[in-house]
Amino acid sequence: MPKSETLRASRRNVLKGVGIATVGASLAPAGMALAQGTPAAPSAAKGPKLLEMEGKAKLIVLGDKPLNAETPAEMTDDDVTPIDKFFIRNNGLVPDAPADAKAWKIKIDGEVEKPMEITLGDLMSRFPNVSYKMMLECGGNGRSFFSPEARGNQWTNGGAGCAEWTGVRLADVLKAAGVKPSAVYTGHYGADPHLSGDASKPAISRGVPIAKAMEPHTLIVFKMNGKDLPLIHGGPVRLIVPGWAGSSSAKWLTRIWVRDKQHDGPGMGGFSYRLAKTPIVPGSKGDPKDTVILEAMPVRAVISFPADGARLASRKLDLRGHAWAGENEVKTVDISTDYGVTWKPAKVDAPPNKYAWQRFTASLDLPSAGYYEVWAKATDSKGVTQPFVAGNWNPQGYGGNPINRIRVLIAS
Amino acid sequence: MTQLNITHVVVISLTAVFLLVALDRAGELRGPQPTYTPPAAPAPVVAAVVDPDKGKPPPHNDTVADLPDGNGREVTFYTCTACHGVALIKAQGLTRDLWDSTFDLMLERHKMAPVKPEERAEILDYLTEQFPPRRRGRNADNPFLK
Repeated sequence: MPKSETLRASRRNVLKGVGIATVGASLAPAGMALAQGTPAAPSAAKGPKLLEMEGKAKLIVLGDKPLNAETPAEMTDDDVTPIDKFFIRNNGLVPDAPADAKAWKIKIDGEVEKPMEITLGDLMSRFPNVSYKMMLECGGNGRSFFSPEARGNQWTNGGAGCAEWTGVRLADVLKAAGVKPSAVYTGHYGADPHLSGDASKPAISRGVPIAKAMEPHTLIVFKMNGKDLPLIHGGPVRLIVPGWAGSSSAKWLTRIWVRDKQHDGPGMGGFSYRLAKTPIVPGSKGDPKDTVILEAMPVRAVISFPADGARLASRKLDLRGHAWAGENEVKTVDISTDYGVTWKPAKVDAPPNKYAWQRFTASLDLPSAGYYEVWAKATDSKGVTQPFVAGNWNPQGYGGNPINRIRVLIAS
Repeated sequence: MTQLNITHVVVISLTAVFLLVALDRAGELRGPQPTYTPPAAPAPVVAAVVDPDKGKPPPHNDTVADLPDGNGREVTFYTCTACHGVALIKAQGLTRDLWDSTFDLMLERHKMAPVKPEERAEILDYLTEQFPPRRRGRNADNPFLK
């Protein structure tokens, strides 16, 4: 939106007596605020590329092949992320939509008494169906906060969403197959073809320790927000391993291979989904043998209102956002408008169930007009909070969860 | 050489009209024709055919020109875009060391087809020159990187 339009819009809102007028304008091109509520006409300023896809909102495209797109922070205000606003993460190509979803087959094999192949239709009718609102978050969420740059798609905080997932418990299915005492890990496979088109190469295959696979919120999912799981989100059937790096939540699920050792599929080795065990110099290559697997995602708060770069008409500000913390619950969210000199607690709602994000709200009364940064910092039930900068640099940029920061300008 | 007379003109014109009408597959040159309307078919009993591409993202193709000009642009383009788009390359700014380990990641994790050593060097030169670290943050002058 051109600046003149923005100013006009602000003035209009002031005249109407609107207390707070955010108009989705951006102060800086680096902001993501351009994405919301802007007219279709392209702005002269070069902003991020926006997604044009049926059934999807104008997410920010990080890459077209494979398609990866994140949700701008100001589009994350819903308690349950609508399908159209949900981020997209792919490692390979999107497989063909099946002619008959219920005939889709999933194989359970490896360290089980009774290996089985079950259709989605049978899976849905044979095991209890459960629904939870749960986080799905890209393992690389927050990568763009690392300095110097880490390798991979430069996610800000938008590789995360909280949808209502319906499915069956992976534990129920594994119990039916009879998990042997030798089982220690799972290996997940999906139907997504490798980007090269070579069918012999899996695009990705990650897994989790048996204890996480048996956790009652780990689901084989076929519905998202009450609708058939869309193809782009892994439909007709996928895994949801809530709170953990999203790559273990295999899309287009075809096989669970129960392993007698840590899974070694593509995406398990090197620095993929791994953190440096001994801290390394930022920007250095590191030693792939000295790493630990990224499991649960770190604690994170994201302000959904106002948008970064918002021009506000009032000093009084009702701030909103969501916070989540991997395996843990968020206990507090603190807000600072003076670069961390003073902090004020926000109101934090309880989650509807484990692994759901939590709403935080705060009423601020800024001391004057002018430029402010609003910072939000979550602390979890273990007392773990967010760092001021993305620390523990690693070559592929995992675990970047610095304090969230937006910039606003209060009209004088 | 034979001169064109009126007979030639008429024959050529008639032939042209005949050909046009004969080849007029869209029927734009003819007037309305009576058409045969078959009796309504019974409702199909088979399920509607699912379009396998329904729900997929739109196809995407980059060209060499999507990468900045420089030595090694072509080999870089064709090597990398055998799998992924150029946006992934352009989003990153890495040292030669990290681009080099990116190459290993592509070979080992992503099973990229083997690349000749001289091509690898050419690609690394290009990536290092075109896409160096850009984020001038607090680690831009780390003493341990020198």
